Amino acid sequence: MKTIILKDKLKEGISVVERVAGRSLTLPILDTVLIKTEKNFINLTTTDLEIGINWWSLVKTEKEGKIAVPAKILSSFINLLPNKPIQFGVKDLNLEIESDNYKTLIKGVDPEEFPIIPKISTEEKIVVGNQLFCQSLSKVVDIASLSSTKVEISGVYFLFQGNQVTMTATDSFRLGEKKLFLPDSASKITKDYSFILPQRAAKEVINIFGDKEGSMSIYFSPNQVLFESLLSETNHPQIQLTSRLIEGDYPNYTEIIPKTYETKIALAADEFANQIKMASLFSGKINEVKLKADPEKGLLNIFSQNPDVGEYNSSVAAKIEGKPCETSFNYRFLLDGLLNMISGDKKKEVVFGLNGSEKAGVLKSKNEDSYLYLVMPIKAG
Amino acid sequence: MTKEELWQAVLAQIQLNISQANFATWFKETNIVSSKDGQIMVSVPNSFAKEWLENKYGKTILKILFNLDKEIKEVKYSVGKAEVRAVKKELPPLTVPGQMEFEELQVDRETNLNPKYNFENFVVGPSNELAHAAAWAVSQKPGLVYNPLFIYGGVGLGKTHLLQSIGNAVIKNFPQKKIKYIPTEKFTAGLVSSIRNQDVENFKAKYRAFDILILDDIQFLAGKEKTQEEFFHTFNALYETNKQIILSSDRPPKAIPALAERLRSRFEGGMIGDISYPDYEMRVAILKTKSLEKGVNLSDEILDYIAANIQRNIRELEGALNRIIAYQRINNQIPELETIKSLLKNILISPSKLANPAKIIQTVAEFYDLREKELLSSSRKKEIVRPRQIAMFLLREELKSSYPFIGRKFGGKDHTTAIHACGKIVKELEKDENFSNEINLIKQRIYTA
Repeated sequence: MKTIILKDKLKEGISVVERVAGRSLTLPILDTVLIKTEKNFINLTTTDLEIGINWWSLVKTEKEGKIAVPAKILSSFINLLPNKPIQFGVKDLNLEIESDNYKTLIKGVDPEEFPIIPKISTEEKIVVGNQLFCQSLSKVVDIASLSSTKVEISGVYFLFQGNQVTMTATDSFRLGEKKLFLPDSASKITKDYSFILPQRAAKEVINIFGDKEGSMSIYFSPNQVLFESLLSETNHPQIQLTSRLIEGDYPNYTEIIPKTYETKIALAADEFANQIKMASLFSGKINEVKLKADPEKGLLNIFSQNPDVGEYNSSVAAKIEGKPCETSFNYRFLLDGLLNMISGDKKKEVVFGLNGSEKAGVLKSKNEDSYLYLVMPIKAG
Repeated sequence: MTKEELWQAVLAQIQLNISQANFATWFKETNIVSSKDGQIMVSVPNSFAKEWLENKYGKTILKILFNLDKEIKEVKYSVGKAEVRAVKKELPPLTVPGQMEFEELQVDRETNLNPKYNFENFVVGPSNELAHAAAWAVSQKPGLVYNPLFIYGGVGLGKTHLLQSIGNAVIKNFPQKKIKYIPTEKFTAGLVSSIRNQDVENFKAKYRAFDILILDDIQFLAGKEKTQEEFFHTFNALYETNKQIILSSDRPPKAIPALAERLRSRFEGGMIGDISYPDYEMRVAILKTKSLEKGVNLSDEILDYIAANIQRNIRELEGALNRIIAYQRINNQIPELETIKSLLKNILISPSKLANPAKIIQTVAEFYDLREKELLSSSRKKEIVRPRQIAMFLLREELKSSYPFIGRKFGGKDHTTAIHACGKIVKELEKDENFSNEINLIKQRIYTA
């Protein structure tokens, strides 16, 4: 192998792929990054056998070759180099890195040992804007349950229908659903697709594609999904993230979304969130914050109490329709939903729908339906 | 050589060629699913393993297989079912007390069906073969084959599981069908409240709109005349339009006391399947399935112990398993057999171990205000004969004593006398509700005194 590449380019590539390397205790090869040089490209690959990431860049290659080297040492070393062209070479399972006045040698591993990233039989794909997609995904990704008892809800559920994408996650205490509408120009899919993406893969997608301009393609296949973005210079993929999917059926969650509310509270999201934050300081061990809606006075009372700290009591003006209602919530769950909803727009108004003290509360933005957050109350007493 | 043996042979040889870590990573949960015309299909847990086996070990595997069986020409790989993942070594997240969950995630509200019950995780054995086959047939052609399907069997043997499996299978096969699973007690309660709110019509219309009606524990209809009548009409309405009705009970229709004759005959008109106690092999199979489902790996020794000691109730089997799993979660280790014995003590020491012949005879004598001597004598007075028969019946029923033993106990009577006595009581029990209450009272005394 003999290749010359700019340091910044390489650094960018390594930062994309190194995230999944080094999580394995049993198989040392999984701690490495596979470096491969083909005609005009350099290709970096890592995997943890659940997620596989490929990254390509255009380079000048004089001699093709490949090697696997520990990701950690490579990454730390490249970060410290000045931004100058770097020359890669391979000799006897060692990676030689040469720059102006450095000559380094990193011990590598036999590249033949490196796992093969499964090929996706590309049946159909859909194109989405990177930022739009990742911003939407980030509103639900943290809700997914971490416990391994119910595998189905440990991931984010995606449903692609025509030009609408629905992403849902729940941990059985709360549920977030984000709808995303793609412009008509996006490639159409011929039938509906749905899959459950493991939470970690979803987070990696956000990390990797979240602040990239442009768009990515999502390829569907029965056991795997592939997220791919192209190089800006040419029609070759730049990043490919392949992930295993969670098998099983996602619970039919649409049934638990109430259609009507006994009490409907409309108020400014920002202020509501602030009050909850203040109340949270005084909430007890179970993070309990009590809400009391008074339709006649048009006030939402927020109350929390901790015998060791003190108590908090405040009222916010709100438009309240329906019955008076008193319910307790875990402030963290409530706040998560509110903050997801606000996301930058300080003037946002939310509607909080309640159905008594033992049914789920629903947070929605006043003017749009694209995000919905369902949260179960804490039982009184 | 069977498929299993063939693959074991491959694994045994491959093991020598590659490192332990590699072997564990790539060959875990692989097996041969089919072998036809020299083509072997190997199931692997994920796509990574598929690529790796195909590209890296493909030749070696084929060579080994070919050496074992010259017929084999080709090996293919497919990604099988999701791997059952071992329980991670972490404590289950402690949920905050009082925090409520979406219960509906488990139970489908409209149909009341719980998706965890399906045919795939129902273990079939000789004791439930017939019921299972009938249920399966019904799920494939609802309303056309066995209508009504009546399944009966003891407590905790899987009636509900089978019933719900039918429902879930129908949802899968015929998504447009309207299904309702409802325990009889809820049906009764629904009727009562509809009478109170004066919208019986609504109630009727609601139940007659279902394509498949599943009623669990139908024996609770006993003695509820109005409900029986209402159910009778619903039954007829559904039956006439070829809608499937599925019923379960803890006893055959004949033995349900205070059940209107016209209902009884209707229940018997379709297909009756019974579920009886699982045998030992089946119990082990059930435990294996359940522990796989729950993602724990228990040794055969432990499963053996549970299966050998809990014989009459699958729910108790599961309870015992849950106990062990809870222990394992808390202590992060699989308990030893000794620990398990003490863990399961409460479950295993069942009342049956507390009864003995002397106690039964004593209790029966006390209950009928007789002296034990009288009971054991050979007197043929009517007031003594009957209690004696009851005592014999209980010895047989509760202690599983042999007929000759029972005969000897009662002053050297012949075993045929004992057979006759038990037969007589059983017959009367079927007929007379009051009498069966009487027997239950005596049983309670035996176990509580």
